[in-house]
Amino acid sequence: MTTTVPASKIAGLVFGALLIATLPIWAGDQYQLHLAALIAVYWILIAGLNLVVGFTGQLSIGHVGLLSIGAYGFAILAGKAGWSPYAAMLASGALGGVCGLLLGLPSLRLPGFYFAMATMAFAMIVNELVMANPDLTGGGVGLPGPLFPAPFGTPTGFYYLVAGMAALVTWLTWNIARRMWGRAFISIRDNPVAAQAVGVPVLRAKLAAFVFSGVSAGVAGAVFASLQSYITPDTFVFELSLFFFVCIIIGGRGSLIGPLIGTAALTALPELVAPLAKLGNLFYGVLLLLVVLVVPEGIGRVFEIVGERLRPREVHREPVSPDLPRLARALKERA
Amino acid sequence: MGTVIVSGLAIGMVYAAVALVYNVMYSTSKVLSVTTGHIAMLGGVFGAYIIAALGLHWIVGLVGAIVVGAVFGWLTEVLAIRRVLARSDEHLWLLSTLALATIVQHAVALWWGTEPKPFPRLIPQDFSAGVMDQKFWLPVGCAAVMALGLELFYRRTMYGKVFMAMSEDAFAARARGISTDRIRLVSYVLSGALGGLAGFAAGQLTFAFFALGHALTLSGFIALAVGGLGSNVGALIGGAALGLLSAFASYWFGGEYQQTVAVGLLMVVLLVKPEGLLGARNVRPV
Repeated sequence: MTTTVPASKIAGLVFGALLIATLPIWAGDQYQLHLAALIAVYWILIAGLNLVVGFTGQLSIGHVGLLSIGAYGFAILAGKAGWSPYAAMLASGALGGVCGLLLGLPSLRLPGFYFAMATMAFAMIVNELVMANPDLTGGGVGLPGPLFPAPFGTPTGFYYLVAGMAALVTWLTWNIARRMWGRAFISIRDNPVAAQAVGVPVLRAKLAAFVFSGVSAGVAGAVFASLQSYITPDTFVFELSLFFFVCIIIGGRGSLIGPLIGTAALTALPELVAPLAKLGNLFYGVLLLLVVLVVPEGIGRVFEIVGERLRPREVHREPVSPDLPRLARALKERA
Repeated sequence: MGTVIVSGLAIGMVYAAVALVYNVMYSTSKVLSVTTGHIAMLGGVFGAYIIAALGLHWIVGLVGAIVVGAVFGWLTEVLAIRRVLARSDEHLWLLSTLALATIVQHAVALWWGTEPKPFPRLIPQDFSAGVMDQKFWLPVGCAAVMALGLELFYRRTMYGKVFMAMSEDAFAARARGISTDRIRLVSYVLSGALGGLAGFAAGQLTFAFFALGHALTLSGFIALAVGGLGSNVGALIGGAALGLLSAFASYWFGGEYQQTVAVGLLMVVLLVKPEGLLGARNVRPV
């Protein structure tokens, strides 16, 4: 299947790719590089979550639990057990996928609010188990997250690693979203009964999206642990889940580029604007409320509306020039 | 053993009270608001603020907690429910109430601080009272009064009957000349007041703590789902079951696995009897 993509989109894509590839050269300091790597790590998770929330319409507010599982899995396997970090990362992804399956099997059968509460409870349970097993997870003290070996050991190298992984995940989700599975997901989001009537296996499709997001969350957790270099249960608070969620809703459901921009903007904004960092979660809450009330389709819709205002669509006009004197004469004759 | 039962029953009745608040909102709007636990949190925090920080009498604190709860219930309806229900997009209310809950939680954290603060004692009583301590019996009494009051309200008053009519069929109620928008607002104010009362009564047990909201939202919801959505007696039974189960779980296995046990109870009930113990069976929408 080949589709023609407008040249402006290709140009934008190439420009974006160049920008991301050259970022370590023009980034001012190590901190900005760290921030860029953090955006990429978050995006690995959010790209998977986007399939669940944005496309399938299942409002999971507990993905921080899967991130936590991936991070602890990586820290334990690569740190304590002495595995190679790459193997540990793959194992974390598999672990995330299995946990996603175990969480999804019962909870995806539940209607909206029940599902949201089940995922929120899952995040709390994960934190509880982490605290309850200090021998394995270090309890409240936490665990160090090991670094990756040579080519990816430096901040620049690590940035390229996570950026490459983010690109890979983006490509995967893009492929899923625009083909048969993506259509099935959207149909489930818009009307599950109608979707079932035309033969979409609703539970299986939901489960597929959820397990995919579990794998991506597990992998994201692994690189997250390595990036943060030290993880404690306090890292994985419920508010982080909310943050992932807000990124997707603000970017717009059912789009890939919207949540990507949302992730980048929302990660960078509190770091660059100091007063926002203090308000942090309050700011995200206000933002979420505003978006849901004013533009539930996401911020992208605002740009569309503004664009239409600024550059109104060409309306085909038929100029009318009535012969006024003749009209006046005709009216006079009537009278 | 006696302490375990009494403390479990007490915390269970807090969950039951939150579940009753869910029911009042659900009856008129078919919305399960994430802010439900936060209303109770506000009741506890403002009760403690008025009594301990301002040094006023506890009756003023009680009235203050109820008023703050009612105002927040009103705000929930105006900000998070009204416009969203008008749009008729499914589950958008989940997002808007989640956003409002986050805003309130962090506003309280900024103003009140992130440490749990003790709730002052209401009745002069010695701390060695054991199982007869007021911190156990206030929530139990509160939940009982709330359930009884709601039952009388639904059966004996005009407004209560209008609530029932709306919970049966909102369209039919509207066709009969009931101003459904106004009744929904009234139900949110009422549920806010009840939530404030519940948080005030539970204050000595839970402390005045900003992060209580999410925990109560979740536990109250589990009590509600176990007992059956829409049933007040079910809410009491579900709350008691959840509270006793968590208390015995922490007595036998230690306190680390409370959430796990609570969610385990929810999952078992949903698998065996998806509509809850006393809930009405849902007809699948086609």
